[in-house]
Amino acid sequence: MIKYLITVLLISLFILSCTQTVTSHSNEVVSYLEANVATTDPIHSTNKYASTVSSSIFENLLHYHYLKRPIVLETQLAEEMPHISDDGLTYTIKIKRGVFFQDDPAFPNSKGRELIAQDFVYSWMRLADPKNKALGWWLLDGKIKGLNEWRNGSADYAKPIEGLKAIDQYTLQVILNKKSFQFLHVLAAPPLAVVAREVIKKYGDKINDHPVGTGPFKLKSWIRNFQLELVKNDKYHKTFYPKEGTIDSKKKGLLQDSGQTLPLSDKITIRIITERQPLWLSFLKGQVDHGIIPKDNYHQIFENKEIKTEIRKKGIRVLAQKRPDLVYISFNMEHPILGKNKKLRKAISSAIDKKQILKTFYNNRGLIAQGPIPPGLPDYDKTYTNPVSYNLEKAKQLMTEAGYPNGKNLPVFDYDLPGSATWSRQLGEFLKDQLSQIGVSIRIVPNTWPQFDQKVKAKKATLFDQAWVADYPDSENFLQLFYSKNISPGPNSFNFVNSDYDQMFEQFLSLPPSQKRFNLTQKMIKLLNDESPAVFLLHRLFKLPYHSWLKNYNEYPIIYDHLKYLRVDQHQKQKDLNKLKNG
Amino acid sequence: MTFQERIPWGYVAKRLLTFIPTLIGVTLLTFLIFHVVGGDPSYQLSGKNASLDQIKLIRKELGLDLTLTRQYLIFLKQTFTFNWGQSWSTRQNVNEMFLFGIGPSFFLAFPAFIASIFLSVLMGLFAAYIKSKKSWIDQTLTSTCLALMSISLLVYIISFQYYFAFYLGWFEINGWSFDWTQRWSYLTLPWLISLFVSLGPNTLLFRSTFLNEVHQNYVKTARSKGVSQIRIFTSHILKNSSVPIVTIIMMQIPYLLTGSLLLEAFFGIPGIGGLLIQAIQSADFPVIKAFTVMSTFIYLLFHLLTDLLYIFIDPRIELQDDN
Repeated sequence: MIKYLITVLLISLFILSCTQTVTSHSNEVVSYLEANVATTDPIHSTNKYASTVSSSIFENLLHYHYLKRPIVLETQLAEEMPHISDDGLTYTIKIKRGVFFQDDPAFPNSKGRELIAQDFVYSWMRLADPKNKALGWWLLDGKIKGLNEWRNGSADYAKPIEGLKAIDQYTLQVILNKKSFQFLHVLAAPPLAVVAREVIKKYGDKINDHPVGTGPFKLKSWIRNFQLELVKNDKYHKTFYPKEGTIDSKKKGLLQDSGQTLPLSDKITIRIITERQPLWLSFLKGQVDHGIIPKDNYHQIFENKEIKTEIRKKGIRVLAQKRPDLVYISFNMEHPILGKNKKLRKAISSAIDKKQILKTFYNNRGLIAQGPIPPGLPDYDKTYTNPVSYNLEKAKQLMTEAGYPNGKNLPVFDYDLPGSATWSRQLGEFLKDQLSQIGVSIRIVPNTWPQFDQKVKAKKATLFDQAWVADYPDSENFLQLFYSKNISPGPNSFNFVNSDYDQMFEQFLSLPPSQKRFNLTQKMIKLLNDESPAVFLLHRLFKLPYHSWLKNYNEYPIIYDHLKYLRVDQHQKQKDLNKLKNG
Repeated sequence: MTFQERIPWGYVAKRLLTFIPTLIGVTLLTFLIFHVVGGDPSYQLSGKNASLDQIKLIRKELGLDLTLTRQYLIFLKQTFTFNWGQSWSTRQNVNEMFLFGIGPSFFLAFPAFIASIFLSVLMGLFAAYIKSKKSWIDQTLTSTCLALMSISLLVYIISFQYYFAFYLGWFEINGWSFDWTQRWSYLTLPWLISLFVSLGPNTLLFRSTFLNEVHQNYVKTARSKGVSQIRIFTSHILKNSSVPIVTIIMMQIPYLLTGSLLLEAFFGIPGIGGLLIQAIQSADFPVIKAFTVMSTFIYLLFHLLTDLLYIFIDPRIELQDDN
């Protein structure tokens, strides 16, 4: 009897397990995110995960062109690019007519109403409202006339703000406190997306589960830690796939859908896959349309930096994504030894072999940083080389000049890691080994993210590993990391204070991208390299694999509304799936 | 005696009262650990462009600006009302998060647990039976169990997922379905892994339990009466080992409800394990508090239920207040 039962049980399990479930929607894109989405509310959307979802549902006045590189701004909900007064302070923005919010019970008869300029006034007041503790507030902090006073005062929505008003139903006027050449980029940032007051009022605390915007997709379902489903907004205003791109856009097949109405797919499924192995294997099986290549699987795809022929034959392609980012090691300039001794910092910087880090930890995917600004951004100088480069002999000499020959009398420094991942520890061990050559000892301290953030923002860390990804494509976003008004808990986690730098940075802010600004930027970078508040390691290059059935895949870190451009060629998918199945 | 008459209500009431100091002890320990090593979450929640004002506002909202005593008293109140409020990172109701996660965690763990208990009892019986006859079979079985035990769960997951799900394509790599008919395809591989992981220790545990009974007088009597060996093992020994078996089973059940962190993360199962990992990574104290207190409560409850089950399994057992 028992034998019979076991046999039946095992056979049933096997049959059930072999029921492969292919439930692909006819025009569905299956995407992924590597971390859970904490919010769909634009005012809190300050990371990739939240912004990818919120920018598919909500829209801004401006957004970034999907194909052009270097990246350029273009209108989204604005009828035309903002009109800026001669003094650079007043922005008059006409908004598109005939744009409707998605249908929702929050509106009369559940029919989404037309977007008006006042919606932007409300949305930005909401971003400034201290009750909401919006993570995106820094984007407007100190920028709009009267907005900070309103925030610090009653934060009464009935009270007008001098620098933020709707002149008529379709015209928004913004007056800045001072000229800002970055303000156009701010208009494209996810936290400045427009929401409807009725929706916020109806759902209150539950707004996360009821995101209602003007965007191409509506939220169909959201199961935390598992997946999100977005479906096409049938009322989406007429928007078309771009007709222009870079020189090689056509060659890459990125202009095949030019002029097509967006969004190109009916449904987007975003799977949350936090572990790299299942994500990689799911990609190889064709269960997600694009993915990542884990460090240790790089050799499976590439041979001499080229995609292997057998991999290409299976329809797997790779997008090379030059990221506007910076990976660096920070010194806390308030540290009594490190902060006061420039030569010691330079010695440490000179003892670290960046080329080796790039090779060992990044499979040579990246570019050694010569300063804080990544390539592709204005003011980047490709001819410049950081004089504080890897040179062990020079590092030893600098140690002597710093007063610590061979590390004599130097205490052990804590090197804080953000997290405790093996990769991070390995990098820590590598640095430990490198620095021991000049007599500098470090103690590797793994942290949880909250611990790490607390240490850094409370100025308690000494040496620590960090990366900065651009919020918008302007060199200001990297140069502000060293501005004294931004010291911890702000983004200047080095706590670098230098009046010459500050003066130059303030001058930089008043200049449009130009030769003059470029020259000034180079002076600032030279000062930074001379002071060495950080070891500039590298700018990353991501190699992102995708299946050839996924059309128009051109992901870029600052562009969060990319999902509407994607579509799946079903015929190609069936063909490629068979190839993947047959090994 | 009716069912209700057999339950020592006084004993139950006293045991329930002992839950209070235990829960207080657990809350105190959790609270201290969180405040010593957890990290202040307001720094993380304030984002990368934080300001002191922003951090201050968040600390106030989270109640972190209150004195430690007051914060702890709020924690105690939450413990005894089972109301944990909202998650600090997702702003969801914590109870709703758990109610949602408990189903997938249970479906992941329970079938494998049943299969593991069933198979390991059988294997334990077989090992105990065979020991006296062919000791090499027992030695092989014991060694196999030890080998199965020595491999870490992560190795099982990585290798099984690669070989069975990806290479052979027998199972789904990752995912979950709310449709009953499809859910099995996602669960079978994690079940098998759970089975492999638990089979070794459970079999060895049951084997030693049964071996303890083999030399008892009632077994000798049964043998002298000519009762077959199979009947002795399946009927007499199994029955007399029921108290330790029930203890082992009941003590494992609470862990089924609290999820398997690694299995859930690798197989994309939206259970409680995933919630906990995320809560630890973001210092989401309401979720951590709820998890700690609820798992302690479930553990205590099952401890009590195990004691009560003893009196039904073995009428000679009497529960006393000082027991």
